[in-house]
Amino acid sequence: MVKLFTLILLSLFLFACDSYEVVQIEVKVPSGVQVPEEMIYIPAGDFIMGHEEEPRTRLGKSVSSSAYLIDRYEVSHEKYKTFQPQHKFSPKSALYPITHVSYSESLDYCKANGKRLPTEIEWEKAARGTDGRKWPWRIFVDHPNNGFSGFMSEPVNKRKEWISPYGVYGMGHNVWEWIGEDYTYAGQHESERDQFKIIRGGLLQTHITIKFSPTYYRNWMKPESKLNFIGFRCAKDVN
Amino acid sequence: MKNDNKNPNAVESKKGFLRRDFLRLISFAGLSTLLPGRVSAKDDFRNDKNVPKQYIQNRDVPGFHIRSANPFLGVDMNNWGLAVGGMVKNPIGLGYEDLFGFKMVSQVSRLKCVECWSAKAVWEGFKFSELVKKVQPDPAAKFVYLQSADSYYESFSVEELLRPRVLFVLRMNGKSLSKDHGYPLRLIAPFKYGYKNIKYITSIKFLDTRKRNYWSNSGPYSVDGTIQPGIDHPLDFNKKPLPINGGEVFHFFDR
Repeated sequence: MVKLFTLILLSLFLFACDSYEVVQIEVKVPSGVQVPEEMIYIPAGDFIMGHEEEPRTRLGKSVSSSAYLIDRYEVSHEKYKTFQPQHKFSPKSALYPITHVSYSESLDYCKANGKRLPTEIEWEKAARGTDGRKWPWRIFVDHPNNGFSGFMSEPVNKRKEWISPYGVYGMGHNVWEWIGEDYTYAGQHESERDQFKIIRGGLLQTHITIKFSPTYYRNWMKPESKLNFIGFRCAKDVN
Repeated sequence: MKNDNKNPNAVESKKGFLRRDFLRLISFAGLSTLLPGRVSAKDDFRNDKNVPKQYIQNRDVPGFHIRSANPFLGVDMNNWGLAVGGMVKNPIGLGYEDLFGFKMVSQVSRLKCVECWSAKAVWEGFKFSELVKKVQPDPAAKFVYLQSADSYYESFSVEELLRPRVLFVLRMNGKSLSKDHGYPLRLIAPFKYGYKNIKYITSIKFLDTRKRNYWSNSGPYSVDGTIQPGIDHPLDFNKKPLPINGGEVFHFFDR
């Protein structure tokens, strides 16, 4: 009897996990604005940026953005090959995010597609919406690869349960993404200025504990770096 | 910082170097498969808490933590040599003094352990490109497999080992490597976790496929081993937690 009860509880728990859906912000796209299928329209308006306990962020204050378009998914190997025909990958990896790309290579890809890299404001708003949430999907969950020291990316369209409130995939896991801005903060040491670009939204590792990065977590990287955990997505002005 | 001083015992003429290479190649034929077994300890202390004191083993010393996957007595230099082969045009065998014939380079970098701590040192050694020039790998050989005297093994891509901050190290903090730190030869790849920085190297093989490494076969550790964004506890900062951005670790006090 106890076993049956446990089984029912476990089933309910698993069912609840599988059925989690991120509540989406209703967005009305203005008439005349063309939104390509692979992009998402983010409306103009205020949102909460940064966190009050993170001094190098906007401290949880309200920040305004114009309307813009942002890629629904991180750029995959398959997509990148349309720009760099010599890019090689195994067929199994076609939908995995492109990695080992520098800042300038990422920017070149976006430009070739009539886009640009997102600003930090654009990236963070697309990741957390307007209610100041810590995770794109709002609730805390353990990363499934917890207990592994390395980085394992996933197909860019895999995790619908982890989309942002605007429906953007991969903003709190998968690869870190190049942002089209220098890494700056109040009180930054002179030797650090003009050295780094911002990267956002990947995973954090402590020993063999893997954690999702909060939506407001800012990371930094030398623009020439090509690492296994860095990819990108593009953005675009409206009209 | 560069240091072009050469060991006076190093071979001076190209001709001499080649002759020595040839002789060593003869004497070290099959070295890569024989050496690790010959110079490693007879006893296996991997699952034993009572490792004899004289064995190299895990221990925390001021400023550095020593880690050893397989406690052993250290390399017997009478039997040590470095075999470089696999998919190459000119396989070679090198003795310890031969390694000082390569252009020496010095750098300060951190060893960042996957256990969370990091420690800084001055490392001195030669670039992988020196070996590549000597052995001339087949263009199809995109990967490298390294073996050590303590039965450890690691793998990298050729591209990774050719990166500017990667060194094959002979000296640490102005002295020859100690037994604890991998004497006579170790790797320093600062953008990889410590476990990728193989010590007591005996063999380097060029291959067309990537092999797995010791820790990915023994625990929840990745083959790639690139340092991920997260937290570091530097030993020279009282182990206080500091954020790291991933790749080679530089803290604000490393400027």
